[in-house]
Amino acid sequence: MSDLEAYRAKAAAWCEAMVPEFGKAARKGLSVEDDLALGRRYQKAKFDAGYAGINWPTDLGGQGLGHLEKITFEGEEMKHGFPNVYFGISLGMPVPVLMQFGSDRAFVKERVLKALQGEEIWCQLFSEPSGGTDLAGLRTRAETDGNGWKINGQKVWTSWAQYSDYGVIVVRTDPTVAKHKGLTYFWVDMKAPGVTVRPIKLAGGDSHVNEVFFDDVKISDDHRMSPVGGGFGVAIATLMIERYVATDSAGFGPHLDLFVELAKDVQLNGRPAIEDGRIRQQIARNYAMRAGLDSINRRARLMMQAGMTPGPEGSLNKLVAVRSRQKLSELALDLQGNAAFAFDEHASPKDDWASSWINAPTGRIAGGSDETLLNTIAERILGLPQDHRPDKGIPFNQIPA
Amino acid sequence: MSILYDEGQDAIATESRRVLEARVTKDDLLPLLEATGEYHQGFWATAKEQGWTALALPETHGGLALGLVELGLIAHQTGRTLSGAPFLTSSFGAAKAIELYGTADQKTRWLPGLASGETIGAIAFAHGADALPQHPPVAFDDERLDGTAIGVTGGLAADIAVVFAERNGTPVLALAELGSAERVAVPSFDNSRCVAELRFDGTAAETLLTGDAARDAALHILALQAVITAHEQTGGAEALMETARDYAVTRKAFGQPIGAFQSIKHRIAELYGLVELARANCIHAAAREDRDDFVTAAAAARLSATEAYDTAARDCVQIHGGIGVTWEIGLHLHMRRARSLAIEQGSSLFWEDVLVDRLSGEAA
Repeated sequence: MSDLEAYRAKAAAWCEAMVPEFGKAARKGLSVEDDLALGRRYQKAKFDAGYAGINWPTDLGGQGLGHLEKITFEGEEMKHGFPNVYFGISLGMPVPVLMQFGSDRAFVKERVLKALQGEEIWCQLFSEPSGGTDLAGLRTRAETDGNGWKINGQKVWTSWAQYSDYGVIVVRTDPTVAKHKGLTYFWVDMKAPGVTVRPIKLAGGDSHVNEVFFDDVKISDDHRMSPVGGGFGVAIATLMIERYVATDSAGFGPHLDLFVELAKDVQLNGRPAIEDGRIRQQIARNYAMRAGLDSINRRARLMMQAGMTPGPEGSLNKLVAVRSRQKLSELALDLQGNAAFAFDEHASPKDDWASSWINAPTGRIAGGSDETLLNTIAERILGLPQDHRPDKGIPFNQIPA
Repeated sequence: MSILYDEGQDAIATESRRVLEARVTKDDLLPLLEATGEYHQGFWATAKEQGWTALALPETHGGLALGLVELGLIAHQTGRTLSGAPFLTSSFGAAKAIELYGTADQKTRWLPGLASGETIGAIAFAHGADALPQHPPVAFDDERLDGTAIGVTGGLAADIAVVFAERNGTPVLALAELGSAERVAVPSFDNSRCVAELRFDGTAAETLLTGDAARDAALHILALQAVITAHEQTGGAEALMETARDYAVTRKAFGQPIGAFQSIKHRIAELYGLVELARANCIHAAAREDRDDFVTAAAAARLSATEAYDTAARDCVQIHGGIGVTWEIGLHLHMRRARSLAIEQGSSLFWEDVLVDRLSGEAA
């Protein structure tokens, strides 16, 4: 057995042992607050077992291992539906950025340790009402205020802001230069005076995203994590940190074998649906697509193991998988016909077709919309030209609204 | 088997691409479309000279004892440049049938010639949409074949054929010399495939396998060929995606390269996705030969590669606009090839059923 396989076996056994306390059955029927409390205990258990901050430096409480160990653990962990969702963003982007760019190292270490143990949660304040994909078009501003700064404006789609202790934020500090050049990156205390968080209820019924308002929120200059005007670069670095994450060719929806089971169970024209050509074609097409992603991901892992950089084709994962999930979920509801009307809004998108379907649009928009991903593939991988951008090079305050 | 190519495998890809790009051009291939039964002699001479015919056959019979991975790499390149003859795949299928199911005598007799390329093989399994018919139209009795096999790729030039036939309702996998069989050339939209109708009239043939074993073996041969063809399709799709990209960055309309319009750039980005999924499935399938899930992996490769090549052919022509539909530019060579490869070795309809039978536990 390779070292990695041994690592996987140990991780699998640990996850298995956590199921009674933290698995799907233990979470069933819990309020969000109780589930979050359970999640904090789960995160602490992960930390104690050495599965938190797997690829982070040991002097900051991490395990000092590689990306491979991290995605290996995540691959095992995702099989069980543990309450880890509250920490995904926090430990995925803001806290690693703090580790990389935070200037007060004692403060950094204290925050990182608390975040790793589930005691504190960080959010990422990027998107705004005026634009999400067009990050550099943001309007929230920070003006100098004595030796520090004063923030005014609004962020939106901020995941878990209602439970967050801290956040990282990009704001405009100079509206007289081109839009990418006038941004600066800070961290903020989410409990500070002037910060108001309002949850947004999403189509599927849950409220994990928020609007966040800043009214004369005062911060000192030691909150700054980029040079003044250098915030865009740090923002891009934030988005690059999560390149090596466990992927799921089912698009974090139900796996194809559940669809095959459904097609064997239900009747269409008096015969099992699995015998119907239309259903068979969709099963075959979806299998080929998902098998392709699985093969891309297996190859990427092997390349990492061999010390090589995986190819850019990994960027297809979310684009292909979530589209496949969305359409297959619609078809699964069709297959159930009027038996599909019964809806459990608390069911998991990973094993319930209606839940998968109603939440699928979020997957195609959050973290880079399909269209943005296609642009990225076209421009970065294939060398096609950028779209026409009339605001390019124009000082931000002269761009027509 | 690893799914990362090693240095030797990378060299096979680079060298075969170099040779093919130098020796097979659009100007050679266009005239072949207007003549029935002619193939690109230079291409086939190159395949023999480079040892591609011997690549995946056993050393004891003149082969190089490499496998699907290496032959797949060559096929990817022949797909890019549009191979001028179908025999790499058809002879490979015939040779594998003899290697896996033939007698020692049959191997000694046929494999060295197939390995050197002096002998050309073909596969005659399909009838219409049915790649492995329940009741094949060719009858096998008393070591003789009777009946007609339609649409046999390479059949016009082949010396031998492996035929899926029937004896009293039982399937038979038979090996026939074609010297005495009548062959009728089929004028096709992709003429260099040398498609023929094989008319057997008491043609001498030998048994390779009978019964369920014959059907299972025929499916295995089809799967082996399908993996090679899938590599060829992926190569064709990749070349078309690059052609579309190159055109989109140079051709201008309304004061900018047409590739700056999302209707064009997203179409090309979608092609990238199809090509990479097909490539990944091909690499996986080539590494699964001799495993229980080989047919499943082959089916996935085949389905994604067919979709990639057909879509790339449609979209690449569309992105070129009027110039794309001219004879001279030759994009129709790929359009034609995408369709002939989509049908050879069984269409998507066939492989969808094969795949779902396996996923639903209806096939062993």
